[in-house]
Amino acid sequence: MAAGRSTALLVTLAMLAATAAWAADDAVARATQLYEKRHYRDAARTLETALPSLDPARQATASLTLGIVYLGTAELHRELSQSATPMQLEYLKALAAIRGPGASRLASFYLGQTLLESGRPAEAIKVLERFAAEPGVEPGFRAQARAHLGLAHFVRKDVTTARALWNSLEARDPQTKATLAAVYSRAGITEPAPVALADAVLKDIGERPAALVRQKLIGVYARAGLTARALALVDQTDLKAPSSTEVLGPAKTINFYDPALLGELAVLYRQASRLALERAAADARVRGTAEYYLGAAFLEAGDVERALQATRAFLALPGAPPAYRNRALVREATARSLLARRADGGSAWAALARDTASDPDLLADMVAACVRHRLECAEIEPRAVRAAEAGERRKTAALNFALGTYHLRKGDLPRAVAYLESARDKAQKNRIEANDPVLLVNLAEAYYRTTQFSESLEIYFEMSQQFPVVRRLQEPLQGVYSMTHKSAGDVKIF
Amino acid sequence: MKTLPRIVPLILTLTVLTTIPAASPAASKNDGRPDGGILAYGEYGRPATLDPITSNEMISLRITELVFNGLVGIDEKQAIVPELAERWEVSQDGRTYTFFLRKGVRWHPRDGEAPRLFTADDVLFTHNIMMHPKTITPLKVRYEFIEKVEKLDDSTVRFTLKRPILNALAKFSFKVIPAHGPANPQYLTREDPFVRNPIGTGPYIVKSISADREIVLMANEDYFKGRPHINKFLSKPFADQNIMTQAMMFNAIDMLVLVNPRDLPELQGDRRFVLQPYNALSYAFFGYNLRSPLLADKRVRRAFTHAVNRKEMLDAFFNGQGTIISGPFAPGSWAYNLDVQPLPYDPAKAVALLNEAGFTPGPDGVMQKGGKPLALSLKVPIEKESEAVKRVVLAFQNYLKAIGVSVKVEFKEWQAWKDAVFAEHDFDVILASWVFDDSADISSLFHSAEIGPWKNNFGGYSNPEVDGLIVESKLTLDHEKRRTINRKLHALLAEEAPYTFLWTLTNYSGYHKKLRRVAIHPYKFFSFADEWFIPAAEQK
Repeated sequence: MAAGRSTALLVTLAMLAATAAWAADDAVARATQLYEKRHYRDAARTLETALPSLDPARQATASLTLGIVYLGTAELHRELSQSATPMQLEYLKALAAIRGPGASRLASFYLGQTLLESGRPAEAIKVLERFAAEPGVEPGFRAQARAHLGLAHFVRKDVTTARALWNSLEARDPQTKATLAAVYSRAGITEPAPVALADAVLKDIGERPAALVRQKLIGVYARAGLTARALALVDQTDLKAPSSTEVLGPAKTINFYDPALLGELAVLYRQASRLALERAAADARVRGTAEYYLGAAFLEAGDVERALQATRAFLALPGAPPAYRNRALVREATARSLLARRADGGSAWAALARDTASDPDLLADMVAACVRHRLECAEIEPRAVRAAEAGERRKTAALNFALGTYHLRKGDLPRAVAYLESARDKAQKNRIEANDPVLLVNLAEAYYRTTQFSESLEIYFEMSQQFPVVRRLQEPLQGVYSMTHKSAGDVKIF
Repeated sequence: MKTLPRIVPLILTLTVLTTIPAASPAASKNDGRPDGGILAYGEYGRPATLDPITSNEMISLRITELVFNGLVGIDEKQAIVPELAERWEVSQDGRTYTFFLRKGVRWHPRDGEAPRLFTADDVLFTHNIMMHPKTITPLKVRYEFIEKVEKLDDSTVRFTLKRPILNALAKFSFKVIPAHGPANPQYLTREDPFVRNPIGTGPYIVKSISADREIVLMANEDYFKGRPHINKFLSKPFADQNIMTQAMMFNAIDMLVLVNPRDLPELQGDRRFVLQPYNALSYAFFGYNLRSPLLADKRVRRAFTHAVNRKEMLDAFFNGQGTIISGPFAPGSWAYNLDVQPLPYDPAKAVALLNEAGFTPGPDGVMQKGGKPLALSLKVPIEKESEAVKRVVLAFQNYLKAIGVSVKVEFKEWQAWKDAVFAEHDFDVILASWVFDDSADISSLFHSAEIGPWKNNFGGYSNPEVDGLIVESKLTLDHEKRRTINRKLHALLAEEAPYTFLWTLTNYSGYHKKLRRVAIHPYKFFSFADEWFIPAAEQK
């Protein structure tokens, strides 16, 4: 949230720490402007290109900025992944239920994968087994299905069945090889080595687009810690391209998308963020700020102990602006609460909740943390609601955003829409330059879940200009919309 | 013989008693919400007709939503619900729909008349009048799939379809009009008094229409779903969108159907008002009359599209509050082809295309071919007028002047504009917008059978490939096939450019927060208005 606040912090601490004056064309300044506009990829590219040639003084700041950019990117992809799953499931289930001439064969294949991605391996197994057993399925798809079946069994701790399935596969085509590399990587298998498999496949395909192959391998390199290679692969990959296009006659084609990609990208960007921030933290001039963001990055990645450590390091710094100090306190309480819950005890969160004032930004952070980490919100919510109702729109935008997301996750959709709409800058309706893209993603999800599909599609359309990966939400949603709308076919002049 | 005079009046009396239903007390909604209050809302024009058959504009549609009902309706979750039909049966083969009509529903009473009961006769009448060759309506194409309609009894109607179709049940949301309504029982024209003084079964009754086309609608105490909460609706037309917003800011009206995008920042910051998005499925365009030899060549039309800087116009005149589109669907539509990009602004390419089409600059700088200058008339309806529209029109004129095309702009009163465009086809270019429901049905816009007086293919566009795709789309029962076909249509129409597709604007309704339970139908707007209410303390 609050890119503007991040930038303000960056500028403040950089001015405190740096000795060199910033030139107008400084890469960090350019990247910061791009980040503020939520042009994350352009911001990252600007910094990645400039980093090797920057002097050490600027490198630390550049790494810090890059870490912040990747953190924002990771959060966005995490939310996109969460939103995408129910849409993809609804669409694929409807397609897979159709029988007879012209019915899709691949719908079950992708349904099985999506069930696996959504944490339902038992259902995934049923669907993938059925698909793999169907007569007439192309050998490549059958092999890929069995590769995913193996992963589903592995997730259910049936390693023997998983191995048997994988060992039975003759991976001849690049798609199957890439799929195997991906499932081995996700299963943590080291023999055969997923990276070696991935390297071989990429060599195989050369310059060919091969979207499915490239998309599958991003996660392989990311999980192996080869972040730079994974990022390079992202640059070479058409993220909006479908994994498969099924042609069912001259007037019927269906595009299918790898359901794992959004989650893999979230993992990659989290990793990239952490690496950049750790590089920055090595420089005393920006260590404090880096620790602040490392706290967020570790928490985002689920590494609670390190999140606590980094956050406490920041809190120990003198002179941090109060707003960020408060935010760090919320993060510290969140981390402590998560750790305490793991140890079945603790009141760290409760204590902070009782003590806080009615600062809307602070309340927003607390509500957001509740939602993100599934903490207890009962004490905070009423205060947050009062503050949202009493405050001026601009000052309570973050709080409305947090409350909207809170209600979205609770399933209270009318309130979710109301709060998220309150947070949205309606004069710049779907522009990411004026609205946090995570807000827009949550609002689009709320509209999807209240069957106001056109509102969701409008949001995704705008977002797709900067984030082409959104295509894998647009197309399933168009599919659901076309199947479920109940309109008569009216058109009128305006 | 002498006894007859005494008997006949007795028989007549008995007959009358059985025809007029016993008066019943007003049925409340029993939802604990208060009745009362007046809602005045601002419209950006005056509807030409108020009936659901002859009208082809959104302003009329909104009124008909308050005044009429269909056999079925739609709820807030977009599910089909009973309306004038309380239940229905569908045959296995999907070709027969039998509707069992609600009993005791009354038509709005005319002054001095007793209210009459709604029956199957009214449903048959509506269908027949709609499909009559002399009835001027854009609805025929939508209902061509109906083979016959039969009255089985006073409360039962059966529709037999020529073939099963997708979403058939939704099609029966057409508004039913009374058999005793129109003066002409056979076909309906815009001269029939009914189109200006309609009666329906809906939650609101048209009470009066002033000379300024301010329409007063009163709550129907006998509404079969329960009396609507708000006593009175006032539809107030405004020629100027700016004034309309000011009217709401100064409490002269309570609601804006469509907020001028330029007013969004101000309204957004005012806690008295709520802004609610809807109607994402509309788009603006410059439409061309392909009957003109000057415009028949698609290279000319594509040249115009390349000549116009749509992004510059959107940014300058609408604060960038919209999305440029590449084809005949809005970006919020399921039918939009995400792979088709808008033609880029490229004046050099525009000139090259005109040259290719045989146009060369004349001595006055205006392109000409065979001695005929490329001089066009652009007709714009006054009632759509806003500063932004004027600027768009003037900008278009300047962009085309820059490539050697002369455009004469003519502002016309709304009805006169519609006559020129839809009846007489007396125009070269128009600026207008279409608004769609979720079905993304563009058949009436681009199928060659829809060329003719008062039909939506006003530009006379005809392409056998497009015709074939449209027919295929209508015939299929396969959703994904229909999506694929629509993607092809999008690509084809983007290539053919019968319009210069402009943009979908940011659409919000704005209303005073005293209005509660406001659910807005994304296309029809007032579908759920009978449930809206105003707390007693805030009623006026």
